[in-house]
Amino acid sequence: MRGRSLIIAAMFIAPALAGQNDTDGLSVGRQMLAEDNPGELWVQRGERLFFEKRGPKAASLERCDLGLGPGRVDGAYAQLPRYFADTGQVQDLESRLLTCMVELQGLKREAIVADRFGTLDKDSDMEALVSFVGSKSNGLKMNVPLAHAKEREAFKTGEYLFYRRSGPLDFSCATCHTDEGKRIRLQELPNMTDPKQMQMVVSTGWPAYRGTQASVRTMQHRLYDCNWQMRLPDLGYASDMSVALTSYLNRSGNGGVIQLPGVRR
Amino acid sequence: MTKNAYALLLACGAAFVGCASFPDAESVRTHAEQSVAEAYPGMPPALTQRAVQDAEQRLCSKGPGETLTSEEAARVVAASRTAIKYPAGNKLSGDWKVGEKLVSNGVGMRVRGGRVEGAKQNGALCINCHALDPAEVNVGNLGPSLTAYGRQRGNSEPVVKYTYEKIYNAWTYFPCSNMPRLGHNGFLTPEQIAHVVAYLVDPQSPVNRP
Repeated sequence: MRGRSLIIAAMFIAPALAGQNDTDGLSVGRQMLAEDNPGELWVQRGERLFFEKRGPKAASLERCDLGLGPGRVDGAYAQLPRYFADTGQVQDLESRLLTCMVELQGLKREAIVADRFGTLDKDSDMEALVSFVGSKSNGLKMNVPLAHAKEREAFKTGEYLFYRRSGPLDFSCATCHTDEGKRIRLQELPNMTDPKQMQMVVSTGWPAYRGTQASVRTMQHRLYDCNWQMRLPDLGYASDMSVALTSYLNRSGNGGVIQLPGVRR
Repeated sequence: MTKNAYALLLACGAAFVGCASFPDAESVRTHAEQSVAEAYPGMPPALTQRAVQDAEQRLCSKGPGETLTSEEAARVVAASRTAIKYPAGNKLSGDWKVGEKLVSNGVGMRVRGGRVEGAKQNGALCINCHALDPAEVNVGNLGPSLTAYGRQRGNSEPVVKYTYEKIYNAWTYFPCSNMPRLGHNGFLTPEQIAHVVAYLVDPQSPVNRP
């Protein structure tokens, strides 16, 4: 894809894409990228995949219930993670899409998980589907519910996990994400105890196009990557731990106006 | 009643929704620990073991509104101090030029696809969080600037010993500090730490150049 290559080349010319503060000199470059976001390519592919009859059951995802009823995609992401009665679990967008792809389309769970993160050689269907579904909440406010007891449990569990230190570097999420104006080297770190910053983090990514990876990445990937830096083992895709953390973080971003996919470094 | 519980009550009054049924702290802890135990499917036990907390990590995992009591802090300090190991010959300050390579090296112990990255030795990670050489701009600020560390403190035996112990286990002096316990956790060897100490205190080190 020549168009994509050009866009990717442009990303490297403007190396620092994302930040919390828009007063610095890089904000012009960020603005330009946001207006011509390569993530749109993932949105379009995701839309095609969503409506295409796929898998052994030759079914589309049009009957997938993302929380607002079968086939309702508009506004669904704004209210995720949430409790689903059919699985008896709180699910984030990715674990819910996984359920639909297995149940409705008959695709193999292992194959979907193996394809969860795209490479330069092969795009991920999941990253495309997440981009599409996320974008269908654009303009709405994050509004993650705590109505069901399991949702409250997931939220509190996520909060506990956010502060839980472990591993050979003694890190928790809180080690890097509870103070103002902090950086690892030159990478700015959002303060996740500040509701305004949480709204920005949640409502404009993830999913987000990452210039350094030339791909849209999802919340599950973000958590996987943080785990990796913390020297913990590979985080299980759609594991309860990852969903609980996402419940805590997304709920903490309630009120943020969604604009997905975002653009990040 | 804790400050936290008051905050929750206030939040409930404002929102009127099922707040009373927020799960209690003990069941949250049980559920969360269960989720950690199941979070790394297919990983070898030696790696999943990394996510298991030791006693000090547990004490140092306070949530919002919780504070470390002075009794708990004393336990962290005592456990940290008794476990410090020193390099062979008790040479606590090594070669600053070796230390210089270590401080900007950020590799070591990362896991991808169930395998530990193949680094010959772990880096000391220092500039991820601390400014050291004033000529290096690619530095983090999670920790304080250590530029001119030795110029300000000298390189006397007590300074060297403190610096070594601080890097070996930061919780000896600052219980539950954000700084990793680099020696205690086996991320750095005592000899590597001694080289980093030299980089901090040696008058010839870029850290201390006027």
